[in-house]
Amino acid sequence: MNRELIRANLNLYAVMQNLEELPRLDPEIGELIKDWKIAIQFSVLNGPSAHVAFENGVCMHGRGAHPAPSVRLFFTSPRHLNRMIDGSGTPIPLKGFSKLSFLQKDFAQMTERLEHYLKPRNGLIQDEAFLRANTTMTLYTAAYGVRELATSDPLCQSIAAQTPQGTLLMGIQDGPQAHIRFGKDAVTVAKGPVEHPTAMMMFRDFAAANALLNMRSDAFTAVAKGELFLRGMLPIVDNVGLIMDRIQGYLL
Amino acid sequence: METYQFPGSAALFKRAAKVIPCGVYGHFSPAPCVPADAYPFFASRANGSRFWDVDGNEFIDYMCAYGPMILGYGNPVVDEAFRAQMNQADSCSLASPKMVELAEYLVNLIPIANWAFFAKNGADITNFAVMIARAATGRKKIIAIRGGYHGTSPWMQAPGHHGVTEEDQENIVRVPWNDIAALEAVFDRHPGDVAGFISTPYHHPVFADNEMPAEGYWQKVQALLRKHGAVFIIDDVRCGFRLHMGGSCEYFGFKPDLICFCKAIANGYPISALVGVEALKNTAAKVFHTGSYWFSAGPMAAALACLKELKRLDAPEILRAIGRKLNEGMVAIAKSHGYDLKVTGDPGMAYYRITDDPTLMLHQQWCAECTRRGAFFTSHHNWFVSTAHSDKDIQQTWDICDDAFKAIKS
Repeated sequence: MNRELIRANLNLYAVMQNLEELPRLDPEIGELIKDWKIAIQFSVLNGPSAHVAFENGVCMHGRGAHPAPSVRLFFTSPRHLNRMIDGSGTPIPLKGFSKLSFLQKDFAQMTERLEHYLKPRNGLIQDEAFLRANTTMTLYTAAYGVRELATSDPLCQSIAAQTPQGTLLMGIQDGPQAHIRFGKDAVTVAKGPVEHPTAMMMFRDFAAANALLNMRSDAFTAVAKGELFLRGMLPIVDNVGLIMDRIQGYLL
Repeated sequence: METYQFPGSAALFKRAAKVIPCGVYGHFSPAPCVPADAYPFFASRANGSRFWDVDGNEFIDYMCAYGPMILGYGNPVVDEAFRAQMNQADSCSLASPKMVELAEYLVNLIPIANWAFFAKNGADITNFAVMIARAATGRKKIIAIRGGYHGTSPWMQAPGHHGVTEEDQENIVRVPWNDIAALEAVFDRHPGDVAGFISTPYHHPVFADNEMPAEGYWQKVQALLRKHGAVFIIDDVRCGFRLHMGGSCEYFGFKPDLICFCKAIANGYPISALVGVEALKNTAAKVFHTGSYWFSAGPMAAALACLKELKRLDAPEILRAIGRKLNEGMVAIAKSHGYDLKVTGDPGMAYYRITDDPTLMLHQQWCAECTRRGAFFTSHHNWFVSTAHSDKDIQQTWDICDDAFKAIKS
């Protein structure tokens, strides 16, 4: 699998799912989408497909085809999609021509806001609300990114194959959480807690999570300082850490 | 029962983290100690079977410095031999007579050995052994056991670890433990290109039950390696002199070509040794391998004294007896609380796991509670006992285990 395809998978499945979080984390975006009723399909030739649907002030992201999208956006290659994400490419609309101005103005405002949170400028992280938003979305990007790389990056596939079967619960105490399941033949991921995890990787607070997820601290030190709590089958934690550390190499 | 607090360790760790990557790195890292706040990070002194942390808490040590401490901390025989040599010379501009004396002793002690070579750490000699295997055969592939550990050189690490490239791993072929068919398949896949096979004498991974060789396993491995002309390397770094004074291969009844020793060889003084068969001596002479402190004579004197003392005591039998007694008591105590404590591996360096919770969380909680009460238990790694562990230590450990089981039930 080539690098552009892996990156496209990460963009559509690990980064774009954060659109679900934006209305919950940013009141301005919540206000912006409250009356939207639209489903946008993203399809990449020889690559991934995903959709985002808005209704009743909620955004829902999903893999694959939406049953009745209002808008279809087509990309001729994974690279084409990645260029759009980088701001240097435009999609080919196949359906929903009347929604083009919506895409260019309103939806673009939302995606710009996503970038604002995921690629913070200096100093923004000092703001508590921004810290929470950035950390939440970085956590989910990491969790969903692990699933993508464990499925498509050859080295991460071999790491995943050596990982004990079970479910890792990762997140922030009294905050956002996600769980990654290493099954016999597949790696799956979902938001929220899970009963009876096989391993746990729990941060004391948003600041500790932010520092580690953005590689400003290391897990060993965080554990010893009481900023990160590990439990259970730690080989799962170790291997997830190895895969997580490779995500930035694709997204930066 | 009183439980310990570790403010001094925590404060020192904060200082360490500012100037040392990870604060405390490698296998001493607090990361696998779960939860970390149940464990001390720094020791101030040690004696016999015990150490004291920087907060003054006293522990019966069941990690024994992760294996080296086999006669107890501060063993007078070994320490005196070390001091006497240090008064003569340690690191010098010429090799020490002690090096010759130690090599002669090892050659007499280890039945397969015709020569000995000294370094500092386990990885120094596992690397050397692999280089010898490649030089002797002119081949590239090294077979290793999946989950086996032979140090931290890039070829030894699992794929994906930081600083390790795919090229570092491309000549390492991993096979499951106790799987002769898988081993045969490697020779079929790489005809004429297998230089050697490296393995510990029994499988002692972390976070998993330890596994003894199946009946006839080693004899089949030996025959297969001989048939294909591949070098047979035993990594006895962890087990060496704990299972048998002639090397763990004597305990299991087989004959490797090279044996790697470290850890228990000098009761904590820094030295490792590779011993080998006559047929590989010339090749070993051709492989250039050395280090700044590999000729320091103090640890060689300590090793000589340690090995003689281990032989005099018949240490492997003592360690097995201590281990069996400790284990039987702990299993019974666990059972009395309704738990199944599984013990695997050699009794003197066993791996323990409470099977009632496959996630290890219950086991981690119990080990942590024991450590808070003064028995230093890790939950991810096999433990070690020393000849200094007394009946009093064992009884105190049992009392701690009992109280810790009560704590995790409450």
